[in-house]
Amino acid sequence: MKTIEELREKIAKTSYICGSCGSCRSVCPVYREIGWESSAPRRKIALAKEVFLKKKEKQATDQYAQRLQECTLCGKCAEICAAGIKTRELWLNLREDLRARGMEHQNLTQMALQVKTTHNISTFPNENRLDWVDDLDEVEVEVSKVGSEVAYFVGCVSSFYPMSAGISQSIVSLLDRANVHYTVLGSEEWCCGFPLLASGNSEQVLELAQHNVAKVRALGVKTLITGCASCYHTWTHEYPTILGEDLGFEVLHATQYLAGLIRTKQLELGNIDETVTYHDPCDLGRNSGIYDEPRELLQAMEGLNFVEMPHRREMADCCGGGGNLAAVDKELSQAIAVQRVREAAATGATILTSACQQCVQTLQMAARQEKLPLEVLDVTELLWRSLEE
Amino acid sequence: MEQALQKICGSRATTDPFELAPYAHDVAYVPAILVNLLTNPLPKAVVQPISAEEISSLIKWAKQGKIPVTVRGGGSTAYFNCIPMKSGLVIDTNRLQGFSEIELDQGSQKKMVWVKAGMTWKDLDDGLRQQGCAVCSSPSSAPSATIGGWVSMGGLGIGSVPYGPIHDQIMALRGVTATGEIVELSRPDKGPARNNGSEQSGLQFNDLMGTEGTRGIITEIKLLVRDVPEKEEHLLAVFNNETDTGAMMSWLGGEHFTSLYNVHFSSPEFIMSLQKAGYAHEIPPGKYSLEIDLEGKRDEVDQAVAHIRKQVKVLGGTLLPDEVGAEEWADRFKSLRLEQTLPSLLAAEMTLPVSNFAAFYERLSKLGQKTNTLCVTYAHLVSPDMALVMVLYPSDELNLIRYIVDLSFTSNLYKLGHSLGGKPYVIGFWNTPYLGKIYDKGERERRRQRKQAADPHAMLNPGKGYNPPNIILNSHVFGLAMIMIGLFRPMVLKILKGGQGQ
Repeated sequence: MKTIEELREKIAKTSYICGSCGSCRSVCPVYREIGWESSAPRRKIALAKEVFLKKKEKQATDQYAQRLQECTLCGKCAEICAAGIKTRELWLNLREDLRARGMEHQNLTQMALQVKTTHNISTFPNENRLDWVDDLDEVEVEVSKVGSEVAYFVGCVSSFYPMSAGISQSIVSLLDRANVHYTVLGSEEWCCGFPLLASGNSEQVLELAQHNVAKVRALGVKTLITGCASCYHTWTHEYPTILGEDLGFEVLHATQYLAGLIRTKQLELGNIDETVTYHDPCDLGRNSGIYDEPRELLQAMEGLNFVEMPHRREMADCCGGGGNLAAVDKELSQAIAVQRVREAAATGATILTSACQQCVQTLQMAARQEKLPLEVLDVTELLWRSLEE
Repeated sequence: MEQALQKICGSRATTDPFELAPYAHDVAYVPAILVNLLTNPLPKAVVQPISAEEISSLIKWAKQGKIPVTVRGGGSTAYFNCIPMKSGLVIDTNRLQGFSEIELDQGSQKKMVWVKAGMTWKDLDDGLRQQGCAVCSSPSSAPSATIGGWVSMGGLGIGSVPYGPIHDQIMALRGVTATGEIVELSRPDKGPARNNGSEQSGLQFNDLMGTEGTRGIITEIKLLVRDVPEKEEHLLAVFNNETDTGAMMSWLGGEHFTSLYNVHFSSPEFIMSLQKAGYAHEIPPGKYSLEIDLEGKRDEVDQAVAHIRKQVKVLGGTLLPDEVGAEEWADRFKSLRLEQTLPSLLAAEMTLPVSNFAAFYERLSKLGQKTNTLCVTYAHLVSPDMALVMVLYPSDELNLIRYIVDLSFTSNLYKLGHSLGGKPYVIGFWNTPYLGKIYDKGERERRRQRKQAADPHAMLNPGKGYNPPNIILNSHVFGLAMIMIGLFRPMVLKILKGGQGQ
């Protein structure tokens, strides 16, 4: 764990690299909505340079704090940065500093308290984590079964929000259809900590990481899968660093695991006569490097006409739902989502898929708001639909 | 003021100091002591119009109150080109977005589009490529530079060898004059230079080319575009010395390959700085590299590649594996990665005859050695016989004295370039002392006359492009000051040896 002085020195050094060229501006979803230079990544770095390198503490105003938290952490600025700055890491460090200064957005403080109390991001007790199972008639979901082949880490959104329950239901149905011996953690599953990391609260994540990893290790599984892109990123990129050790089991996103089942013909898909496009979740694509498997799954369904959006893979646009933006400015988050669903609709697709429960939820709301003839589904939901139909 | 502007632009107008502050900056760091001595860069208001009509209303409003107006695109230049000298109103064009359907001119069989001024070159190119077309040329800052911005600057960059400066690719443009009239101007050889409504202001087509928003404001241009080429090849050749590298550049320009799209030079120091940051490891240390980009019909590209391979060998060079060239091309907008090694750079950018490139580089190396200055150079071929050269050198913006004495080295670089036929690339504010090196007396006078005709009250981007705006920037005074400051530089560098940026 870095001390606050080490953190500030790191921010200072990183901010010094920025040449203010502004390549980051036109790809930044927040800048595109707000429009003022103050919302562009280069300006945020320029202010960080003033505060941390030139020690002009007065520049750390409430407006500065607001702008730093108006970010989806999509990482597209890092992709295009002419100076090669790892901007996503910088934003996280700056949020850690904001928290240390007591300038964190009140909704994020509230969320941290919530996670501490219930071990999830909702207001429901963690014992309700498996409520989504109640609607499954033909599938029996076993909890914390030692000796299972695979553990399925559901994630808070699919566990608690009825709108996203279809994702977890589809994933277990697919696993069941492929005769995979899997188990879930039930109330022993705690929030992975991603929302806390995104609000600069890495300190609180340690306990969550230790708990979750211990519980999965106790199951003796070879593989952990998750349908949540942010959980996946946290398990693969953050936990090993936070814990300072190898996890001892493989972590895969559900789309990676399911693609493996298709390749070995352990799972065969059905037919879907629709034009479908795919939205790369930032935490799965750009921030974790998984682009191919979701596309492989979609194209494995007979009859499906797959079309790409202009902004895809490394240069995919954000859905607006990342980085806790909705907690800081819901309208801004929604405005970004609207741009993305418009792009999806312009491809002629009737179904927009993604591989992230947060993206799906955000895009669904935007499509509804825009009254677009566009159904938004998780890839796994569409896979299961192909079998049901 | 905010109320008046909000009547025109709604919430796209601000006088909030937090929002205004970034509009007093471009990519260059200049110490506040110098900026405040010479300018008043903080605008009183910033607006983001979405149409020519709104800009027209803004100009008419500003004219009534005698408020200076500075237009800003991507803010990606380094000479205060888009920074107000006398505060006033900044018109941020970034909300002028989008382009029309691609038109085919039946006579010339050329394709063209109307594109709005606030789009970035990369966004336009990406959009065109979805329809099988591409921009002909673009700045090396294409992800940030706007259409209107680059047209208002020098317009030289990637693709300029076959297609010429951007000004050659513009068929017509729409804009707003200093009196607030909305005009459409066709290219002089394609029709009357002065169209509807422009007689009163006297604005002409060329008034909006490379004049940094000092005579009118561009809102939309009609731009030639090309079909996406059948084939691309990106070669990376390395040479042992500047003589062979310069000879290769001259040969490439002289051969007039129809498929030669771009040539990019990187000095050994530039490569070394990238390598220290973890990049460009495929390039052998100490070599001079030329990225040679070919685009066009398959057979034309193949023929050119065969000739180039032979010539590289003749000049003692080596072609690196194809993937190295492809990677260099993919990273063409990422030159600033060298700031990971050298975070506080000063620079001089100039056009230079290719025939003098080797001599320039040789003398630059000697100058660098003599003054204990690491000079990091890259360049683009921008015509068969002209290169656009960027020389960067490290300083330390955290040390005011060091930074100020280092600024004097820029004038040494321009002096060196001038002795070999070079000229500063753009003027803006900081290069006004070099106006005499850029234009001859007659051209300077003609430019002043056009400014007077188009903007008699000097309301648009005052202080740029025509006369040094104050005595300190007078070429003689400035030149003397640079010599004096330069005299202190060795001493300051010696005292600060080992400081940041060395």
